[in-house]
Amino acid sequence: MAATLCVRLLPKQGWLPLTQSVRHGSKSVTRHRKPIHLLKQKLLAVTKYVPPPRAAPLGAYPSESQKVQEDSGLLLILKNDLKSVFRDNKMIAVVQNNSSSAEDMMTLKHRLFKHGIRVKFFPNEVTRSFLSDSVYSSMTPLFIGPTVLLVSKEPKVKEMLSALRASPQITLLGGCVDDTLLSVQGLVGFSKLPSVTVVQGQLVSGLTVLTSRTAAMLGHHPARLSLLLQQHVRQQSPEEAPPPPQQAT
Amino acid sequence: MMASLFKSALGRLTGICRAHGQQQDILHGHLKILTAGLKMYEIPPDHSDVVLPEKPKLKFLNKVPNLKKAKKEGKKLRDIRGPTKGANAFTSGQFAIVAMGGGYIHWGHLEMMRLTINRKMDSRTTFARWRINAPYKPVTRKGLGQRMGGGKGAIDHYVTPVRYRRLIVEVGGKVELGEVEHVLTEVAKKLPFPAKVMSRESLEAFQKAQDELEQNNQNPWTFKRIAQGNMMGIRKVLSPFDLHNHGRFTGKFHFPGRV
Repeated sequence: MAATLCVRLLPKQGWLPLTQSVRHGSKSVTRHRKPIHLLKQKLLAVTKYVPPPRAAPLGAYPSESQKVQEDSGLLLILKNDLKSVFRDNKMIAVVQNNSSSAEDMMTLKHRLFKHGIRVKFFPNEVTRSFLSDSVYSSMTPLFIGPTVLLVSKEPKVKEMLSALRASPQITLLGGCVDDTLLSVQGLVGFSKLPSVTVVQGQLVSGLTVLTSRTAAMLGHHPARLSLLLQQHVRQQSPEEAPPPPQQAT
Repeated sequence: MMASLFKSALGRLTGICRAHGQQQDILHGHLKILTAGLKMYEIPPDHSDVVLPEKPKLKFLNKVPNLKKAKKEGKKLRDIRGPTKGANAFTSGQFAIVAMGGGYIHWGHLEMMRLTINRKMDSRTTFARWRINAPYKPVTRKGLGQRMGGGKGAIDHYVTPVRYRRLIVEVGGKVELGEVEHVLTEVAKKLPFPAKVMSRESLEAFQKAQDELEQNNQNPWTFKRIAQGNMMGIRKVLSPFDLHNHGRFTGKFHFPGRV
């Protein structure tokens, strides 16, 4: 019994195992990347780098430091000039200059100068900065694009309109006459008005006509005057509504 | 200012001459235009403070370390995984070969680098320095035709492990990058891992770009956050190595562009 057990348990002397033991543990292969677990692949995909949004290119937005530049010397001088122009002149018309040539502008200037109207050029930013803090601030919408000022000490709207009619490149936008803001129609209406002396004469003549007629009436015969008074009283009284109309002259 | 004026004047002159030549093409086809001008040269870099060492060339490195008793080691692949622990900054040189992945350098690689760089560099103006040690890690092999088993094989050769971003060789002296770049790139191509030639500035810029990438990442879900928070039990498939490196490495390989 014991002998058979010994034979079974003990390996044979001088016997080599025919099969090799194969290790199935970790493989230390560094030639290639190890296959990544699916969950880790997903994690790597989710946590990819996301770049920040591209910034707007330079000059896409106006710079915020533009207001600082306004106090340059030339602008201040121009602003003072503009202030004196608005102070000294009674008529200030704003016209738009649609690419008129130098020659056209010269002839226009000459034609306007005959009537004492001067042509002034100011940059729009100067004009706007002046108008924003002055009583003329409601003129600001007129100053868009290439604008020119026509100024004169006297309100000579009629002459100005006749001079502008000859130059089609110049468009009238509006104006300020005697501190009154006028549109184009307003300016045209203003030009059709007679002059101040004529109006004053008409007024005086109208007043004198009334007084002279009263004086002439008082010079009539007393009987006629009494008759006229009686007729007036009869007309005023309400009972005798339908009196025969009597010619009274 | 003067040079630009000269240039514009000359350009106009040659233009006139060319127009003239075209008109009388048959007679003046061979008209030669002589031009002269001022050229402003760049000021060369100042190398007055550079001190060349006694021996500017690369030292010979032993193939086998001088040990009393050579001991077999395990594979220890962790010595090429992840980023390097040291030798990631310049010491004396200006330009260097930087490893962009991990790997083992053999003695043959070292000899190739030493011979190429020593031959092609000008030792009067340039010096080169090793930033890696001689091969010290034993690699075992079984002999040819031997049956498997019977224990671990004998030591076959020694290697030097290199991790990502380690400097291999430094080059410096009174030189610019353009003079040594072609030699270093030629060498870097032959290394057993991706390697790049970098100068002090470019290495700094590289590091800065990496930091900026990390700063400006718009993705709220980062590897670090998810892994450290163990969201949805993701730690089941992540290793401690991933926890340290935030998914930027897999083994010796580096994922460029990951943060």
